[in-house]
Amino acid sequence: MFSEDTILLFYEITDVIIAGLSTGSVYALMAVGMTLVYGVTKAFNFAYGDFFNMGGYFAWILIFGIGFQFGGYLAVLLIVLPLMFAVGYGLEKLMIAPLRKRADWENKVMMLTLGLALFLSSLYTVVFGVKMKSLPPILEGTLEVGQLVFGYQDIMIFVMSLGGILLFGWLLNNTRTGMAVKAVAQNPIGAKIVGIPKERIFAATFAISTVMVGFGGILLSQKWFINPMSGGTIMIKAWVVTALGGMGSIRGGLYAAFIIGMLEAFVGWLFGMSYGIIALFILLLATLALRPQGLMGKGE
Amino acid sequence: MRLKHMAIIIGVAYGIMAVLPIFVGDIRFIMNIMIMCLIWAVVASCWDVMMGFAGIFSFGQVAFFVMGAYCSGILAIEYHVTPVVSILIAGLFTAGMGVLVGLPCLKLAGPYVALVTFGVHMALQPTLRGEIGLALGSGGSVGLLTIPPISIFGYTFSSANIVPTFYLTLFVSLTCALIIMFVIKSYWGVAFLALKDSQEFAMSLGISAFKYKLMVFALTSFLTGIIGAYYGHFYGVLSFRMLDMDLFSILMVMMLVGGLGHFPGAILGAFLVVAGSELMAPLGAYRAVTMGALVVILVLALPNGIVGPFLKRSANRSPTG
Amino acid sequence: MLTVNNLNAYYGESHVLKDVSIAVKEGEVVVMLGPNGHGKSTLLKSICGLVDKKDGKITYQNRDINGLATEKLVDLGVIYISENRELFPYMTVLENLKLGAYTKNARPHEKENLERVFALFPRLVERRKQFASTMSGGEARMLAVARGLMSNPDFLCIDEPSLGLQPSLRHEIFSTIKQINEQGKTVLLVEQNIPQIAQLADRIYVMEEGQISFEGNKDEALNNEHLKEIFLGM
Repeated sequence: MFSEDTILLFYEITDVIIAGLSTGSVYALMAVGMTLVYGVTKAFNFAYGDFFNMGGYFAWILIFGIGFQFGGYLAVLLIVLPLMFAVGYGLEKLMIAPLRKRADWENKVMMLTLGLALFLSSLYTVVFGVKMKSLPPILEGTLEVGQLVFGYQDIMIFVMSLGGILLFGWLLNNTRTGMAVKAVAQNPIGAKIVGIPKERIFAATFAISTVMVGFGGILLSQKWFINPMSGGTIMIKAWVVTALGGMGSIRGGLYAAFIIGMLEAFVGWLFGMSYGIIALFILLLATLALRPQGLMGKGE
Repeated sequence: MRLKHMAIIIGVAYGIMAVLPIFVGDIRFIMNIMIMCLIWAVVASCWDVMMGFAGIFSFGQVAFFVMGAYCSGILAIEYHVTPVVSILIAGLFTAGMGVLVGLPCLKLAGPYVALVTFGVHMALQPTLRGEIGLALGSGGSVGLLTIPPISIFGYTFSSANIVPTFYLTLFVSLTCALIIMFVIKSYWGVAFLALKDSQEFAMSLGISAFKYKLMVFALTSFLTGIIGAYYGHFYGVLSFRMLDMDLFSILMVMMLVGGLGHFPGAILGAFLVVAGSELMAPLGAYRAVTMGALVVILVLALPNGIVGPFLKRSANRSPTG
Repeated sequence: MLTVNNLNAYYGESHVLKDVSIAVKEGEVVVMLGPNGHGKSTLLKSICGLVDKKDGKITYQNRDINGLATEKLVDLGVIYISENRELFPYMTVLENLKLGAYTKNARPHEKENLERVFALFPRLVERRKQFASTMSGGEARMLAVARGLMSNPDFLCIDEPSLGLQPSLRHEIFSTIKQINEQGKTVLLVEQNIPQIAQLADRIYVMEEGQISFEGNKDEALNNEHLKEIFLGM
């Protein structure tokens, strides 16, 4: 019925769609983390991309550096994710909280995190070398559905990211701390009045976002390489997604993440990977010009 | 900070610089460092005026510096324009770019301006390296290697005549610093303080935030472009590597050391940091690590930088000019 | 129960409260009146840990509480109900109320307080699944008070509960506050100068220009010439 070429094209497009979905889901993880921190604490973390890499590097150390054998990826996650939480929590308490008392604190936080980003990227370069690293895939092999062939790796990434996001959503709506986070985001004064310890919530929120972005780092490092200096680019990407979705809107971030994941996949397929960033930049400018508050604007 | 104090600090700093060649004029190495101090002082000051004084969180300063440098270099190499003229043209070009970038940015809040300008910075590198750059004459990944030095009335200012070149640099740098100082202390300056304290109130008085911010973009990009061009003609070579995060962070450290928003702290910051950076050169790869750590420590520990003692008591709660 | 001694409070450079001293006995309803902008709200906020710059002595049940963070004060049973209500707009009435019971001391009493609050404010029951941002002025005010009660307080600092309400709703909210007092809670209330207030109060303070200009019970207040001016010459 259809020509050979059309069928092949169909398969290619399916591949691109799946790739887009899997990267999109990781972007969703990152966007949710970033929008959460910004929505709740109004702090902007320039080192976000370097935390992404941190997740990947921690996993790498466990797998290759120490040669962790038992438990597989599950064990790696169980060790790295709490570690990321601790890093995020400690960072917020030690470095960001003290700045809140100063005038202009949002700017100071941006500068501090910028310094942190530089510190981390150069640290990675020194410790791990300039050569890019990559993690082994969680699941090798492919799944065949009729004539279509899907790689397990992409599927796993998609499933796990989605799982992470759903878990996060559940925590946000069903735990006391989650409700407190929402409360602080919606009305910090009201939160104070009911006795919510704002500082602890800020630290917890920051820590949660660090875990999410680190998780994203572990997931995507199987597919792509970890480049020690890529922190800045990754942060910009996360930011574009978040801005497109609307800073502070979790749902917006989700939609935007998948849109951008798909956009990147298709632009990469049609024009080549290096144009990805330019396409993003154009999308960013368009968003800022036409609808600066993003897809879903404020609140949530 | 009062005009008197500003003038004193600038006077003393540049004065010391002016006198040093008597002692170290024949040590090429040190003279080079001093010239760099003077050049970066201008860039750091311009960035400081943007961020600390005008409150525009722009991360594009390095990009403008590089734009000015490349513009003048290309004009000189490809079109054989005399350096003095090409520097001025580069300044105007960069000012234009500044306005172009500024226009969309001015409607945006804090992190957005930072990210758009940072995006410009990040987009500049592949542009210069890639085909667009090559077509314009940027030399792609190789960069520009043969930028002619400045010559006035037949006298060439290059590393061969390091002392006269130093004094020329001092003159250019001082002029830029004085321009900035007068702008801050003029009606513009007062307008900015008003805008920073309470934008709505200032605007109700007829002060157009938009107009003033755009002018700041234009002025700082102009000066940065000029000094960038000057840099190109002094060094003779340019490469896209200038857009790496190293330079970016060093400039940030300069502003933080000097005191963000407290001109002329950035000038002192530049002098100190360039000197310190040279001392740290043996650290090699660890220099960047240290630089990053320094930024973090400085933001936490020195909210007002070195010029803290010169400020009025209320400066700690909200920045004053 | 609560005493304030020589309290001075500042907003930036502005000296808002000047050497203010008041006392509230357990079980009382004490009302603070006075022209707007003269510091009444600031006094409440200072007691509840919402003002940074202050000095003086504030004791609650013989315990020095000046300088304690709001969350600790809520735990001790001192709560603040803002004239701006400060609700959580995108959460339901029920969620807002549940968040009221956030602190450790309030949590075990969540269920009983919820019942009590629904009994006091029947209108909230129908609205409990609605977002707080959809509530009318009067309902939002009720929710704010209800949420405060969920914190299981013994001492309520209520800031202008009648602000922006129609007279009929004012009456309703005052009578509810009276009920709350009858259930055993001590109330320190800041209000605009309204005649109805006299019914509610055991004692009245008047604050003018950051200082206490009158202190007495409601008979003394009604017989005071100066106050009559304030009361009637609003």
